[in-house]
Amino acid sequence: MVMPSFLNPLLLWGLALVAVPVLIHLINLLRHRRVRWAAMDFLLASQKQNQRWVRIRELLLLLARMGIIAAAVLMLAQPVLRSSWSRWLGTATTHHVVLLDDSYSMTDRWADTDAFTVAKRSLERMIGQAAVQGVPQSLTLLRFSQAAVDGPPRPDLMAETITADFAPRLESLLAQMEPTDLAIGPTAALQSLETLLGSAAGENRVVYLVSDFRAPQWQEPDELRQQLAKLADEQVRLELVSCVDQSRPNLAIQRIEPLPGNRAAGVPQLVEVTVRNFGSEAVGDVSVLLAEDGSPRPAVVVDQIAAGQSETRRFAVRFPTAGAHHVQASLQSDAVEADNQRHLIIDLPLSVPVLIIDGDADAGDAQFLTWALAPGGPVQTGVAPQVELPRFLDTQPLDRFRVIYLTNIDRLDPTAITAIEEFVARGGGLAFFCGERTDPAFVTSQLYRNGAGCFPLPVLGTAELLVDRLRRAPDLNVADHPVFGVFAGERNSFLQAVVVERYLAAPADWRPEADSSTRVLASLRNEAPLVVEREFGAGRVVAMLTTAAPEWNNWAQNPSFVVTLLELQAYLAGGYEEVRARLVGEPLEVVLDAGDYRPRVRFTGPDRAAGPESVEAASGEHGLQAKLAATNIGGLYTAELTRQTGEIETRRFALNVDASEGDLTTLDGAQLASRLEGLPHTFHPARELELGDLQTGGFQLSEALLFLLIALLIGEQLLAYTVSYHPQSQEVAP
Amino acid sequence: MPASKKYLQPEALRRISRLELRARHIVEGFLSGMHRSPYFGQSIEFLQHREYAPGDDLRHVDWKVWAKQDRYYVKQFEEETNLRGLLLVDVSRSMSYGSGTFTKFEYGATIAASLAYLLLRQHDAAGCVTFDRDVRGETPLRTNQKHLESIVQLLESVQTDDETDIYGILRRVAEQYPRRGMVTLISDLFVEREPLFRGLRLLRQQGHDVLVFHVLDDDEMEFRFQGPTRFEGLESTARLNCNPRALRQGYLEALEEFLADVRHTCARETVDYALVRTSDSFDSVLAAFLSNRLGMHHRN
Repeated sequence: MVMPSFLNPLLLWGLALVAVPVLIHLINLLRHRRVRWAAMDFLLASQKQNQRWVRIRELLLLLARMGIIAAAVLMLAQPVLRSSWSRWLGTATTHHVVLLDDSYSMTDRWADTDAFTVAKRSLERMIGQAAVQGVPQSLTLLRFSQAAVDGPPRPDLMAETITADFAPRLESLLAQMEPTDLAIGPTAALQSLETLLGSAAGENRVVYLVSDFRAPQWQEPDELRQQLAKLADEQVRLELVSCVDQSRPNLAIQRIEPLPGNRAAGVPQLVEVTVRNFGSEAVGDVSVLLAEDGSPRPAVVVDQIAAGQSETRRFAVRFPTAGAHHVQASLQSDAVEADNQRHLIIDLPLSVPVLIIDGDADAGDAQFLTWALAPGGPVQTGVAPQVELPRFLDTQPLDRFRVIYLTNIDRLDPTAITAIEEFVARGGGLAFFCGERTDPAFVTSQLYRNGAGCFPLPVLGTAELLVDRLRRAPDLNVADHPVFGVFAGERNSFLQAVVVERYLAAPADWRPEADSSTRVLASLRNEAPLVVEREFGAGRVVAMLTTAAPEWNNWAQNPSFVVTLLELQAYLAGGYEEVRARLVGEPLEVVLDAGDYRPRVRFTGPDRAAGPESVEAASGEHGLQAKLAATNIGGLYTAELTRQTGEIETRRFALNVDASEGDLTTLDGAQLASRLEGLPHTFHPARELELGDLQTGGFQLSEALLFLLIALLIGEQLLAYTVSYHPQSQEVAP
Repeated sequence: MPASKKYLQPEALRRISRLELRARHIVEGFLSGMHRSPYFGQSIEFLQHREYAPGDDLRHVDWKVWAKQDRYYVKQFEEETNLRGLLLVDVSRSMSYGSGTFTKFEYGATIAASLAYLLLRQHDAAGCVTFDRDVRGETPLRTNQKHLESIVQLLESVQTDDETDIYGILRRVAEQYPRRGMVTLISDLFVEREPLFRGLRLLRQQGHDVLVFHVLDDDEMEFRFQGPTRFEGLESTARLNCNPRALRQGYLEALEEFLADVRHTCARETVDYALVRTSDSFDSVLAAFLSNRLGMHHRN
């Protein structure tokens, strides 16, 4: 049998006070008053009659008084019962289940510590004390990040028995733990409890949610409430341990994205960066430091960001070489570091190959397109146009082109139509310009095919736009679309200058289907559609119902033509170009062509200490896939692929943190209580966390001792009364 | 309360050191507060004439009858002498206990002196016997006013000592004072009960009018001791270490049982019994005495 342990063992010295009643008794014996007494007979008679009971009662009284002192001292020392017989009191095993928040908001730094360190220290303190308890104690430690992984959760400790030498082990384990750059709430961790530990029956389970309790994660805690209600149903005690004491201001780079444009080496790329102020006060003069491929460049300064608001700034980068280029935006250090940086990888080809198919061997229209897309000379657009006749479509693979322009074509073979439609469906861009040779019947029946084809609308035939001599209104009405960004503004002179004379008319009653992707981007003065787009598969199709060359219109003579065409090119190429924003925690997948590459892929993360990780590609949905699951740190990742020839090819990826985690608004006990109304829980600030608060140690005896003390006090008074230590009011009858 | 009576409180009387003076003070104070007492001034009452026989005291010859009839007659009175009041004062060691102003003995002696004074003042005969195991001092019954002095001397001279042999004393008194009279026993009665009751019965059988002043101290009545105490017997070698509060109830019960027994026996034997505490004022004692006188008168 193990003795109970005490939370305040020093107070046990007070047990020496138990001797006080005995000492008082002995002193009283020495201080006997001597009385020479006449009526000894009565006294002796009384003594003879009462002797035994008086002795017993006096002994009991003495014991009661000693007991009172002992009970009071023990109660103050807070004993915790931990022995074999405490099992019978229903505390077989105390299972501490610690769910540790390791999202990046736990890096919240203040003074000389941070939230995660506070969490680790409080955990060590708590377990250190649990180790000296007698009741069997076990610990399961699960980090939020390890619960959020694909597949089964991976606890760091699984129902480990806490022994006396457990503390150093835990300490070294915790020392290795660092917060991740993930933005995760407690939901996944709570959810995984059930699969991980099963029912709580037969053990005394305590779940500790060690977190910073950021407001955004508890905004609509319905799911959390369900999880916690389940715990409550199973009689699991819930302890919320908050590791931060207050909300601190924080700036985060919320977004860094390239604007649509022609991605090619040497072409300036516009990039937008958004900075969010999560603090409660406005912040001024925020410098966003920028680096292109690691070399610093002039910073972008944001004059002022209002509290809780974001500001977006645009800047241009230009990389003279082809390949994956790295743009990094960073802020100066604040409470949380992870969201002060954001990375962008822009993959630039040397040039963007574009195919221009002209139905006319003279290629008049193609010429205008070529001039617009690749003017040559010092102007670099990054577009490499290739002009071909329609039969090129039948014979040559189209995959290497990003965009195909069809101008002034009369007919296409079914194989060519199929090839084009497959090209678009895979993500390619297709632009269609009319011309003299364009056959409306062919377009409607073969390319439109009642919407089944890639052409966005049926056409009837060519039509004239009546000349408006007074020029009260421009011929063109353009929608708000990136392609027509150059015409933005109501009184744009470019727009006034465009005159359209002929066009390919759609049926008068044709309107885009409301639920389709078809949109009219520009219409004529008479409301006939002129530019119509639709999405087809992964790609985009834009139909211009007039000529590219200045035959049916004068647009090509207008400088806006070049700008619009380049925008159109960027827009159509966007199906490929769109940079997918990857977040920390998402598995990084590389798809390989088994014919070209060897299956082993070497991944390197931003954590240099971790070293590269080799992954064997497995066959998946899109062929061979190599997957790196551990992406808990934000930054640049590289995947080294080996071609069959032995040549090494490197691909780069930027994984950024979810900026919403940077909102450091934290909830205090009362706010949490209101969100968890009706769910039993206890809230502890981590710094004040003591074992006594948590009552981890099996069966607390203090309360029982309090009742014992009260019982003893009552018993003592009753005994004292029966032993006539209380003056009696009744007088002796003379 | 008449003003004089407040001087009958033991505290007040303690200041009068001489027993005789104290006795006078008590009695005068007591009587001065009364109106004409029906018990006061009783004198010798003529009963009958009887023919002279040789040996009769010539002082009792009624010479007026002889002058008229030339025959010798002697006058006979109802009582040939006054009331014969014998005071038995216990001077055993137990009487030396006292928690208040007087010890039980001092209180008893004061009662005895006061009664003697009262008796002598009324021209009754008063005598006193002090005793413990044996008779320690004795003054014969006298009516002489100056006899008070010898009684007082007797009371002042004794030292309390030894235990009490009550039956022996009472039997001896019965033998020595065969003529009926009033026997007043002043004692704490801490004696064997059976001899006490036997002795009292003997006195009653002799025709004595018996009065018992049972003198007890407040401590003995109430037993209000606190704290560990060692009780040592005054008349015995018994010792007892105890917590008096624990024994109080048993003690009071035993005492009450004893007092009830004594009261009951006295009532049965027509012995006048008065329990007095050493803190009681003396007038209550004198009142008890005088009521007894009346009772005796009626009884005889």
